[in-house]
Amino acid sequence: MTSRAEFLGSIRREMARTRGLFEARPVPRPADAGQAAEVVRHQMLERWPQALERFREEFERVAGVFHRVANIGEVPGVIRRIAQERQAQSVLSWDPEALGLDLRQSLGQEGLAVTVAPDRDPDVATRAMHRDAAARAEIGVTGVDWALAETGTLVLVSGRGRPRSTSLLPATHVAVFGHDRLVESLEQVGVMLEALHADPARGMSGAVINFITGPSRTADIELTLTRGVHGPKDVHAIFVETR
Amino acid sequence: MITCLGDMFFPEVGVAMVKLLRRLGVTVEFPEGQTCCGMPLFNSGYHHDAALVAQRTVGLFAGAEHVVVPSGSCAWMVKTEYPGLLKEDPTLKAAAEALAKKTYELSQFLVDILGVTSVESSFKGKVAYHDSCHLLRGLGESRAPRTLLRGVKGCELVELPGSDECCGFGGSFAVRLPEVSTAVLDKKLANAEGTGADCLVACDAGCLMQMGGGLTRRGSRVRAVHLAQILAPSDHA
Amino acid sequence: MSDASLRTPFPQRAHAALEDAHLQEALGIATTKFIGLRKESFAGFPEGEALRDRARAIKEGTLQQLDRHLERLADNIERLGGHVHWAATGEEARDIVLRLCRDKGVRMAVKSKSMATEEIELNEALEAAGVKPVETDLGEYIIQLAHEKPSHIIAPAIHKTKGQVADLFSKELGGRFEADPEVLTAVARKELRQKFLDADMGITGANFAVAETGTIVLVTNEGNGRMVTSLPRIHVAVMGMEKVIPTMTDLMVFLAILARSATGQKLSSYTTLVRGPRQAGETEGPEELHLILMDNGRTRQIAGTLREALYCLRCGACLNVCPVYRQIGGHAYGYTYPGPIGILLTAMLKGAASVKDLAHASSLCGACKDVCPVRIDIPRMLVDLREQLDREKIAPWAERMVFRLARRTMTSPALFRLGASLGRVAQRPFVRNSRLRRLPFFLGKWTRTRDLPPVASRTFSECWKDLERP
Repeated sequence: MTSRAEFLGSIRREMARTRGLFEARPVPRPADAGQAAEVVRHQMLERWPQALERFREEFERVAGVFHRVANIGEVPGVIRRIAQERQAQSVLSWDPEALGLDLRQSLGQEGLAVTVAPDRDPDVATRAMHRDAAARAEIGVTGVDWALAETGTLVLVSGRGRPRSTSLLPATHVAVFGHDRLVESLEQVGVMLEALHADPARGMSGAVINFITGPSRTADIELTLTRGVHGPKDVHAIFVETR
Repeated sequence: MITCLGDMFFPEVGVAMVKLLRRLGVTVEFPEGQTCCGMPLFNSGYHHDAALVAQRTVGLFAGAEHVVVPSGSCAWMVKTEYPGLLKEDPTLKAAAEALAKKTYELSQFLVDILGVTSVESSFKGKVAYHDSCHLLRGLGESRAPRTLLRGVKGCELVELPGSDECCGFGGSFAVRLPEVSTAVLDKKLANAEGTGADCLVACDAGCLMQMGGGLTRRGSRVRAVHLAQILAPSDHA
Repeated sequence: MSDASLRTPFPQRAHAALEDAHLQEALGIATTKFIGLRKESFAGFPEGEALRDRARAIKEGTLQQLDRHLERLADNIERLGGHVHWAATGEEARDIVLRLCRDKGVRMAVKSKSMATEEIELNEALEAAGVKPVETDLGEYIIQLAHEKPSHIIAPAIHKTKGQVADLFSKELGGRFEADPEVLTAVARKELRQKFLDADMGITGANFAVAETGTIVLVTNEGNGRMVTSLPRIHVAVMGMEKVIPTMTDLMVFLAILARSATGQKLSSYTTLVRGPRQAGETEGPEELHLILMDNGRTRQIAGTLREALYCLRCGACLNVCPVYRQIGGHAYGYTYPGPIGILLTAMLKGAASVKDLAHASSLCGACKDVCPVRIDIPRMLVDLREQLDREKIAPWAERMVFRLARRTMTSPALFRLGASLGRVAQRPFVRNSRLRRLPFFLGKWTRTRDLPPVASRTFSECWKDLERP
């Protein structure tokens, strides 16, 4: 088996043979990440209405369904309608604290089975139960870490109370967010991600960050686009005005 | 620079080019003893041999003010590859760089150096223009030939679908993989015939050999013609 | 497929491809669509050109500090609880996966599409070791059922018409399915869903790995990449070591142009950033994460002629525009990676002799270089490969003699003139209606399908006397 030292050693040997052959191209280092992120947040305080317009346009372009409500209290109503349309009966949700909303009370009374993610470090049994619920759920409800306007993308960071499968296994994904999540460009997302990783007291308790741009799709057969291959067939975004 | 294919197979293109340039007030000289720019050798990987040919060519044109070539690929070869081929010898390399600077494909010379956009020509008909790969991608030229074609009063230029797609010539490729080369050609010719054009025009002898060879084989009414022959048609056009 | 098909010479494989009506139909549909999608995407994206330059600069800059970035990457992954393995050869990479399967009691592994695992023929090795590999990407699933190899870098099954896929599913899965992509996709979704939940291991490749943060990046559309890295208890990623990039900021540059180049999308449906195994607070995620960094011929090119090929993002754009690929499809190339970049990668992995025919499967039209997101100069490297084949005398002796003779003719005007005169004489019996329609020897390869103009009765040089008088 090759060791790290051997592997890197052969690379270094080859690199030594190219000294002076190629124009040095140092890759520029990003500026102070935390500060840059602050700048973005500041910019977005002003620009979020334009960003929202653009987000809606791009989100719908990738077959997302956009909703807008005045306050968080109206969100369960939207989900109920979606459930009716889809003839869905089971809902999986992020932990209420992570989501900012407890759907068990609002939807539970309507005959919808609502499961929420565990909010503590789960044990084996809890994990198994959640996996079963996720496999059966027809609607998955999550929050959003960043809503990227340029491409209509939802960026979700996994972690405690925010399992990965909520936006993946159910056939319908519903994402809820407010104006503070909007960013305009991929470049800005890069800034936010640099800051997220640079911060030692990070709130990122999970290992995965997903950029979600529309429903699951494939064009593997004759390049004909079909949706809902393995991931959700439908993605809904609910923008909450006062949040 | 007449090019090997031009000299042997399409002298009428060279004649048209000379007549056209003279009509535009250019003094035309023809250094004798021209053979080939060496591109077939270069493309097949025979670089040492190609360098010998390059060396000779550089010498042949040392005294010229401008070198005009009725072929995008040959112009590309001289402008892009000669300096690299002769890099071992500083004198030759400098001479190659000097030659590269003063070498032009015909349509580029007419439009960029002479500033000509409209030429008086007796040609009448509908034409479709094929973008030769080395002129289009190698020398970045797609406008000059179209400008010149549009500048001929009796000439109607129609866009060729897939004009930027290869004709399938590729030098030795045409005989190394003749079936693939022909399949690619068939696509090009189907597009050409679909335009209803009388002539399929290009600025490269290799493309014209390939496309012309396919057109006559299938008895098409479309003729493969060099740009120079549109701008300065002979009496037997 | 590789060994069997390689026994037939390349021109024969190309011939078979040209005669295959289904393939021709499928290729025409797919490549034309891909070209249109990419064109449209970049037409509305003026920043694209500058981003391509930046992306290329990042790749070159990374190569210049490759060892440091790989060290950083490995340190970060290990700090997060992941494992890094170093595989000098493809065989070693395979062995590492097999050893993990043995040690961890893996019986079934779900796979997300990975050309790196195709490169090392991992599936065959797994099956031989009693581990069931299940391809979950729809295209890979289709070819796994058909016992074929991928024919395109990002759309493995585009050589099949929907009718052929329907027939395949009906035969292999039992049932009768109509030739409707929606129906067939639903079949695959149903068949594979439980497999994700039951698998012991998830195997992926990696589009990028961010050194600064220890992140493995997967660019997918179907969702299987996410399933495979979240549901099974072990995640193994196999990655060519040249895929490492320095920072998150750099990643955004590549994300901005990758999907556009590949499929015309602004971003693929899912871009998944995986940073270590399941963290403490998480409900889901693998217990173990293993990244296998693979060399397999890449290191040798750091100072080699194919260095630029190490920039490749595996987007497939060059395949879609290549006049040769568009006519013969991927299988005729005979190796894991087809198309223009495939010829270079094959030479990288298996040596120049392996591409003595493929290096000439190009008209050097340059369309590939035109669309490459990182502007790899593929035509130049193909010519360099041809030069190597001549220098190392791998090109046939007869060919080399012909070109030596050609050079003699090109450096001697007397010989050149003699050649024209001889041609004029020799061609006389063959001229019909001022064309040459049937010629002997290798010239017959031209005249089978095309006419040739005869050598002119007077060459231009001979006409010049008359033109000299203005």
